[in-house]
Amino acid sequence: MRQAGRRWTLATLAIPAVVVLAVVPAARAAQPYDGKTITIIVGYKPGGGYDRTARLLARHLPKHIPGKPTIIVQNMPGANSIVAANHVYNLARPDGLTIGTFNRNLPLAQLTRVEGVRFDITKFAWIGSAASESTILTLHSDLPYKTLDDLRKAEKPIVIGTTGPGANTHDFPLLLKELLGFNFKIVSGYSSSADIMLAVERKEVDGRAGSYTSLRPFIDRGLVRPVVRARATEPGIEKLPVDEDLATAPRAKAIMALRSGPEIVGRPYVMPPGTPDALVKIVREAFVRVARDPELVDEATRAKMEIEYVSDVEALKIIREVLGQPRDVVDEFSKYIKFGD
Amino acid sequence: MLDALFEGLLLILHWKAFAFMLLGVGLGFWVGLLPGLGGGTTLALMLPFTYTMSPAEAFAFLLGMHSVVATTGDITSVLFGVPGEGTTAATVLDGYAMAKKGEAGRALGAALMSSLVGAVVGALALALAIPVVRPLVLTFGSPELFMLAMVGIAFIVSLSGEGRGGLRRGFLAGGLGLLCAMVGQDPQAGILRYSLGLLYLWDGLDIVPVLVGIFAIPEIIDLAVRGTAIAGDVSYGRLGKGVTEGIKDTFRHFGLTIRCSLIGTFIGIMPGLGGGVAQWLAYGHATQSARDANERKGFGQGDVRGVLGPGAANNSKEGGALIPTVAFGVPGSSSMAILLGGFFLLGLVPGPDMLTKHLPLTLSMVWTIVLANIITVGASLVFINQLAKLTTIRAHLLIPFIVLLVFIGSYTANNSYGDLVAMLVFGALGYAMVAAGWPRAPFILGLVLGKLAENYLYISTTRYGAAWLGRPVVVVLFLLAVLVIAYPFVQARRSRRRAGARCAS
Repeated sequence: MRQAGRRWTLATLAIPAVVVLAVVPAARAAQPYDGKTITIIVGYKPGGGYDRTARLLARHLPKHIPGKPTIIVQNMPGANSIVAANHVYNLARPDGLTIGTFNRNLPLAQLTRVEGVRFDITKFAWIGSAASESTILTLHSDLPYKTLDDLRKAEKPIVIGTTGPGANTHDFPLLLKELLGFNFKIVSGYSSSADIMLAVERKEVDGRAGSYTSLRPFIDRGLVRPVVRARATEPGIEKLPVDEDLATAPRAKAIMALRSGPEIVGRPYVMPPGTPDALVKIVREAFVRVARDPELVDEATRAKMEIEYVSDVEALKIIREVLGQPRDVVDEFSKYIKFGD
Repeated sequence: MLDALFEGLLLILHWKAFAFMLLGVGLGFWVGLLPGLGGGTTLALMLPFTYTMSPAEAFAFLLGMHSVVATTGDITSVLFGVPGEGTTAATVLDGYAMAKKGEAGRALGAALMSSLVGAVVGALALALAIPVVRPLVLTFGSPELFMLAMVGIAFIVSLSGEGRGGLRRGFLAGGLGLLCAMVGQDPQAGILRYSLGLLYLWDGLDIVPVLVGIFAIPEIIDLAVRGTAIAGDVSYGRLGKGVTEGIKDTFRHFGLTIRCSLIGTFIGIMPGLGGGVAQWLAYGHATQSARDANERKGFGQGDVRGVLGPGAANNSKEGGALIPTVAFGVPGSSSMAILLGGFFLLGLVPGPDMLTKHLPLTLSMVWTIVLANIITVGASLVFINQLAKLTTIRAHLLIPFIVLLVFIGSYTANNSYGDLVAMLVFGALGYAMVAAGWPRAPFILGLVLGKLAENYLYISTTRYGAAWLGRPVVVVLFLLAVLVIAYPFVQARRSRRRAGARCAS
């Protein structure tokens, strides 16, 4: 963005010239994105789900924005994308040329007052979410456990491999263990969810949790089978039992809801606070249309990705719900869950 | 099997696939040369172009690009002492030292030829290993991977200087490396360790700025102080002749090159060890080939074996790294993770099917790696003499260019100013280490292996208690680590005895 910033200073210097030249074809200025470049800042390195979604959108969004701007993706990894969010909130110009996408759990970082957070998530100019991510728990297909009661009463603890606190591979099974009494042994420290998958295959661990998108190939292959899911759902897993429904204590329900809330806003997309409404509206409408674009849908299907637009209104509603939890719930939540990747 | 091998070759020799491979090779060539511009980022950028290609064409393009990155990365490492890729840093130690002695041509010849041998051996080993690869990978659980990391750390003994003082320094440097590996959010309790309140350090130290700083900065300072060209006052004429010499070196030490290739393949096959590890193990092994104390001192001063080892391992590991991606759908590196995205796009499901039903396609990938390397090495050899002449340019003309490479190379790691600070801090550390005669390789070994060792140890003990210590492969690897530690001492005693015998006679 620094580059764009320099371009803008140059542009300011060139204003007199442009004004003279632009007097006649003033009608063209009606398209604010004509000949412009929009940058999507991704809070992670290339290769992950956030990055792949952003690159997919960057390819298909331009044709839905009047003026057909160029859209490029810039990776700004760091601190589980707090760095990117801070940048978009504090440094990026609200000129409609910056879009940010980051960790869906940032509302939890704000809620639990994580050090380094320099933003109020509700004050971004929200575009919405490009997809919701459903977390499920899967177990090795060879294991005998049939019902959820079997999981509670398992004689030997069921070993669940995770990448570490803050990740859905970790937090979801942790709450199942702590709040629902599933007999789990959580083993954390795998370097990626793919590594856990391999550990499942060699029977070092019995199962793993994660997003349905990333687990689907292994379910299709018959290596693992899904057992429980969180609130957000996708076609194919609607019938799985939901963790919140299994809890009886209201406190437990609230804590689980707090963890899974952000998943409905699975791929958050925002613009810097103060971006003119007219511009945000153009981009929002483009998101609505791009999610139904047959070319994008075809590509997403082939890449085993799900694009489903969640509106800014709905996204903000869920986030306010998360942020509005009473202190005692938050405190207990923080006992189990640490903000992380 | 033979049929599939042949069919795979035909797939890649189809004119369209071949053309895409050439295109990929051309791109990868530059990506490798430029430090920081990594193979992973480029793969992510290029992936969309494969949508309209057939699987064989797409993989020819992507792998053609990916597999030459390590080859040309060596060139930057040798010429300027700046690691061209995170995975080619070990080549700096002896490769750049050779360039300083005016042997840039020889070092480049050796690096390129060993890369080629490595790629071929890696591909061959891979093709032969396909029937046993699934059980092999599944045998290596977390306890085995932990022990493997320990074997790697044991190499500190070979990478340290001579005598008790040398070992002490080596272990201290290694310990510092391990400590630096602990920086960031820990994966067990989620606590931030040594992050100094900086967001940049949450994810731990990025290896690229650290490598670039610790290796390149001391050399830049040295070059500036000397004020001469990199190659000192060596004349043009001598430089060019070296290339054939370097190629001959590869075959002179053919056993070593093959062994390092096999080390690379093996590390590549193990998912979760990462590409940076292979080169250092190979370098460690290369130093073991020194016959006596004097020869060992030569490593780091421009021993060609120190170029051959990592050069070979770097390229052979690419073939190996394909295996977990193809056979299990489990990528071993970020590049492979992006390649995996390519599988889905092309409608392929990685898994056991790739070793049976789609075997020709898998083997065509193996062929791509071999062919891409042959082409790259062939093309490089044509103008390598010109490249070697870069080392005769006077310092004040070259330094600004190298400094630019160093800064860009570090910055592209995270697009953060933190990268530059990290590079400078570790540059200062690197300079201090060189000035005080401390070895840098053990530090890097500790940094690269520290996190793996910690995590796998934690997983092993929580999962198995103490029982993992008795697993057969763990015991074998433990003995191997002991052997690696004992080897220099045994060697020292032997050479002393030999010297004694000579005196007596």
